[in-house]
Amino acid sequence: MNIQEKISHWVPEAQMEEGQIPAFRIPASRIHDLCKNLRDDQETPYKFLVSLIGMDWGDSLGVIFQLSTLPFDQSVLLKVCAEDRENPQIPSVSDLWGIANLYEREVFCLLGIRFINHPDMRRLYLRSSWNGYPLRKDYNPDEALNPLNLESEPESDIVTQITSNGEGTIQETESALFEKEEYVVNIGPQHPATHGVLHFRVSLDGEIIRKIDLNLGYVHRGIEKMCEGYTYPQMLHLTDRLDYLSAHINRHALCLCVENALQLELPARVQVIRTMMDELTRIASHLLAWACICMDMGALTAFIYGMRDREKIMDIFEETCGGRLITNYNVIGGVMADIHPNFKQRVKDFIVYLRKKIPEYHDLFTGNVIAIGRLKGIGMLSREEAVSYGVTGPSGRASGFSCDLRKYQPYAAYDRVKFNEIIREEGDSFARYMNRLDEISESLFILEQLVDNVPEGLFQVKTKPIIRLPEGEYSQLVEAARGIFGVYIDSRGDKSPYRLKFRSPCLSLVSIMDSIARGEKIADLIAMGGSLDYVVPDIDR
Amino acid sequence: MAFLNDDEMTFSKYILSWFTGIKSLATGLKVTIREFFRPKVTERYPENRATLVMFDRFRGELVMPHDENNQHACTACGICMMNCPNGTIHVISKTETTEDGKTKKVLDRYEYDLGQCTFCNLCVLSCPSHAIVFATTFENAVFTRSKLQKVLNREGSSLRPKAPVKELQANDSPK
Amino acid sequence: MFDFAIITDWIDQTLKTFLPDGWTFFFECVLIALALLTAYAVLAMILIYVERKICALFQCRLGPNRVGPFGIFQTVADTLKMLIKELIPINSVDRVLFFVAPFIVIAASVLSFGAIPFGKGLQVLDFNIGIFYMIAVSSLGVLGIMLAGWSSNNKYSMIGAMRSGAQMISYELSVGMSLMTMVLLAGSLQLSEIIEAQADTWLLFQGHIPALIAFVVYLIAGHAETNRGPFDLPEAESELTAGYHTEYSGIQFGFFYLAEYLNMFIVASIATTVFLGGWMPFHVSGWDSFNQIMDYIPSVLWFLGKTFFVVFLSLWIRWSFPRLRIDQLLQLEWKYLLPLNLLNLLLMALVVVFEWHF
Repeated sequence: MNIQEKISHWVPEAQMEEGQIPAFRIPASRIHDLCKNLRDDQETPYKFLVSLIGMDWGDSLGVIFQLSTLPFDQSVLLKVCAEDRENPQIPSVSDLWGIANLYEREVFCLLGIRFINHPDMRRLYLRSSWNGYPLRKDYNPDEALNPLNLESEPESDIVTQITSNGEGTIQETESALFEKEEYVVNIGPQHPATHGVLHFRVSLDGEIIRKIDLNLGYVHRGIEKMCEGYTYPQMLHLTDRLDYLSAHINRHALCLCVENALQLELPARVQVIRTMMDELTRIASHLLAWACICMDMGALTAFIYGMRDREKIMDIFEETCGGRLITNYNVIGGVMADIHPNFKQRVKDFIVYLRKKIPEYHDLFTGNVIAIGRLKGIGMLSREEAVSYGVTGPSGRASGFSCDLRKYQPYAAYDRVKFNEIIREEGDSFARYMNRLDEISESLFILEQLVDNVPEGLFQVKTKPIIRLPEGEYSQLVEAARGIFGVYIDSRGDKSPYRLKFRSPCLSLVSIMDSIARGEKIADLIAMGGSLDYVVPDIDR
Repeated sequence: MAFLNDDEMTFSKYILSWFTGIKSLATGLKVTIREFFRPKVTERYPENRATLVMFDRFRGELVMPHDENNQHACTACGICMMNCPNGTIHVISKTETTEDGKTKKVLDRYEYDLGQCTFCNLCVLSCPSHAIVFATTFENAVFTRSKLQKVLNREGSSLRPKAPVKELQANDSPK
Repeated sequence: MFDFAIITDWIDQTLKTFLPDGWTFFFECVLIALALLTAYAVLAMILIYVERKICALFQCRLGPNRVGPFGIFQTVADTLKMLIKELIPINSVDRVLFFVAPFIVIAASVLSFGAIPFGKGLQVLDFNIGIFYMIAVSSLGVLGIMLAGWSSNNKYSMIGAMRSGAQMISYELSVGMSLMTMVLLAGSLQLSEIIEAQADTWLLFQGHIPALIAFVVYLIAGHAETNRGPFDLPEAESELTAGYHTEYSGIQFGFFYLAEYLNMFIVASIATTVFLGGWMPFHVSGWDSFNQIMDYIPSVLWFLGKTFFVVFLSLWIRWSFPRLRIDQLLQLEWKYLLPLNLLNLLLMALVVVFEWHF
C-alpha cells in the first residue's frame, strides 16, 4: 500500500494535495493517532520527525508535520488546521517524539498555537511578556508595542499545560518548574564553555544533576520572518549566519532547494566544487569541535593546535571565496566565482599536512588517561532516544543511528566518491568525540578523490534576474557538520517565499542535554556539551 | 590510573592501570615538548605591514574605482540599491541638463554604510557597469559610528564616457 | 664556594659599631623583612612572565612581546593595572572574613618562603624541624581559601572552596610522606643539614629507586597542593567561572594570584632542596677538578637554576593535560598515591637500614 492508501484507510477524511512531496490535510482531532500509526507502521515506518512547521494560511493557523522514513527516501507532509484563530489548539505529539517538545514550544512562541497535552507550554525564544506572534501575517512590528526592556526580568518558573481528558473538555493547569528547596545554579548565558549564548538552569543535588531547564532565544534574530521579505538571492547570505561553522553546507541546502524547484540542471563542475567546499567546511567544523572539547576540559594547548590547523582551511576559503568563516560562495545556479588557480595545490598540501597531525591529536588527547576518564561512559544516549529526538550527525552516529544523508540521499557529487559512514555503538561522549576525528579522515579521503578530477565546464548557470519559484512546497535536507539541516519553502509564485523554515540540527542536540545529563556530575555537563557540539545561532535562528 | 569502577577493579588491573596511565601521559608530554622547539606560526602584524599581501578576492570594503581623470563608471541606475538586502546603499542622483538641452540623471552621492554591510557581494555582481568592487582594506576600525558611513564617489568626479557595456560572461570571474 | 655569611657578618659588625645590640637586631629584622618581601614580589613577577612565555611556546605562539623587548615588562603593566582596580564592596558578604582571607593565604606563603635556603649563608630561618615547619605552615593556605569561598556568599565560590579544601587536605598526606622518605635518607629534619648531606651526591641519586619514586610523587602532590595544572578544578575557568576567588577584584585578587605562583615556587624549591641538592653544585665524587669548576658558579645560581627547572616541569605538565574531575582527583590520591607512598617509605627504611644507598 502506498502512503495515500494508508492514510485514507486510517483517516478517511484526509484530503490529498498535489505537489513534489505527498501532502495531506488532516483534521486536528485525528493527527495524534495518525502520527502514531505512521510511526509504528510495519512496512514503511515514518520514524523520523523532520520538522514541525507552523503556518499562517491567511484564514487559519495551523501546523505542518514533516515525517520521514529512516532511509530518508520517503517523506510526507501532514497539514493540520486549528479552527479558532483567537485561541488555536492542536493535539501534541510530544509523547511520540522527544524533539516535538521543543518544536511545539517554538510554534507556540512564534505563532501562538497551543498544544493539548504538551507538558510544558512556555515560549521558547521570546520572553513570555512579548506582545504578538511574529510569524503571523497580521503581526504588528511596531517598536512601541515591544519596547526594549531596561530592567532585568527573572524567568518565570511557572509552567502551564492544557490537558484534555478525552471527552473534549480542555483545562489549564499550572505547575512549578523547580521546587522551593531545589538548589538551582545558572550556567550561562555568559559562560566560557557553553559554546554560545545559552542559559541552563541546573537543579543540583550536591554534585549530581537532577534536572536541566533550557532558556533559549538570546541570539534569536527572526531569520525565518526576514526571509519572507527577501528575494531568493538576497536570503542566501542569511544561511551563512545560522550555523556559521557549516556556512557552506547550509547555503548549499538553500541553493539546492531553489534549484530543484526551478528544475535547474547543474553542471558537473559546480557539483564537484560544491562537494569539495562542503568537505573542507566539515573538516574545519570538526577541528573546531575537537579543539573546543579539549579546551572545555582544560587542555588549552590542544585548542591552539586545532585552531592553527584550521587557519590553513581559512586561507583556502579566503583565496577562493573571499571570506574566512562567512564564505558567501554558493549562489542559485552555481558558485559565485571559479576556483582560484592555487586552490588545487593548496588542498593537496593541506591533505598531506593534516594527515600528519591527526596521529598527534590522538597522542595528545585521545589516549590520555585523564581524557578517557572524563569522557568514557559519560552522557549515554541510546539509539531510540537519538531517533526520537532527531539527533543526527556525528553525535547521532555515535549511538548507532545510521543517518548520513550523503549515503542515503546523495546530492552534489557524493554519489561519485567512496567513503565510509562512521558509526559507533557506545553512545557516550567518547564515541561522539572519536566520531569527529574519524570523520575528518573520511573527509580528507573524499577531497583526495575529487581534487584532481574537477570536470571542466561552467561554474554558474544563468538564471533570470528575478527568480520566482513556481507555486508549491519544496524541501531539501543535507548533511551539515552537526546533523541534518533542512529547508522547507512554501511558494505562492512570488519572488519571496510565503513561508520558509529551517530545520536546525543543533536544536535536537541541545534538547537531549536534559535527558543525558540526569545523574551525571556537574563537571561532566561541560564535557557533554562539548561532545555534542551545538552552535547556538543555529538553535535560536 | 584508569579510574575503573570499584566492581571492575582487580589487583592485576590495578597494577596494569599504573603503567598504561603513565605511558599515555608520557606520550602527551612528548607531543607538547616537540612543539616547544618548532618555529612559531604567529604572524608579526603590524610589523609586517610592508610585506603583507591580502588575497585579492578578500572582501574588505566597498569602493568605487576612479581613474586618473577622476572619473568613475556609476550611472546611478540604482540596481545595487535594489539588490542590497538591508539598505546599506543609498544612491542619490540629481538631474543635469546637457548642452543639447536633454536632461539626464547623474550620480550625486553614493552613500555606503560600512557598519551595516553584510558583504554578501550582491551589489558588485548585479552592477551592469562594474562601477563598484570590494577592496582588500581590512583596517577599517574607527572610533565613532558616523565615520563608517561613507560616500564612495569623490569630489568633482564624473561619469566616464560610455564604453560598450560588457555582458557578464559565465566564464569570467568577476573581479 | 662563596659564602654569603661573609656579607651578613659584615653588616652585623658595622651596625653594632653604631647602635646598641637591641637596635641592631631591630634594624636587621627590618632589613630582612624588606629583602624577603622584595624577593617575593620580584620572583612572582618573573614567574608570571616565564609562565606566559613558556605556555605560549608550547602552544606554537609567541607570548607577550609588545611591552618592552620580548615583553619583559608585561608583568609590571599587569601589576599596575591590578593595583589601580576598584575594590568592589559587595553587599551581603561577611565583611571581616572576606577582607582577611587573601591575607591568610599570603601570610602562609610568605612564612614558608622565609625558610627556604637560597644559597650558602642565605637562609633566614633555620629551625631544627625545618621540613616539618614548611609542611605545617603551607597548610595554613587552605584556611584562607575556604574562608574566601565561604564569605563570598556565592554558590560557585562555595563549591570551589569545598572542592579545594578537600583536595588540599588529601594531598598534604602525600607531600608529607614523600618528604619523610627523604628525611629518612638524610637523617635530619633541618634544611641546612639536609643540604650538607648532599655535598657529594644529590639525595635523588643517593637513594636511587625509592628516592625517584618519592620525587615523582612529591611533584604530583605538590602540584595538586597549589591548585595547578591538571588539578585546578576549584578554579576552573571553563566550569565555575573562577571558583573561590570569583568575587575578589583588584589587589585582593592579586594576592591570590601571587600566592599561587609563589606556592608553585616554594614547592619547587623544597623539591630542589630535598631531592636535587639545594644550593650544592653538581659534584661527582672523585672528579676533583670538575668539582672545583662547579664550585665557581655561585650557590644562588645553582639554587635558582634547579628550581626553575622544576618549575618548567610543572608548566609542561599543566599545559599538556586536561583537568581531572574532583572524584578522580581524590581517587588518585587515596587509591594510587597513598599506597605507593606507604610502600615507598617501607622500601626506603629497608634501604637505610641495610645501607643499600650510595
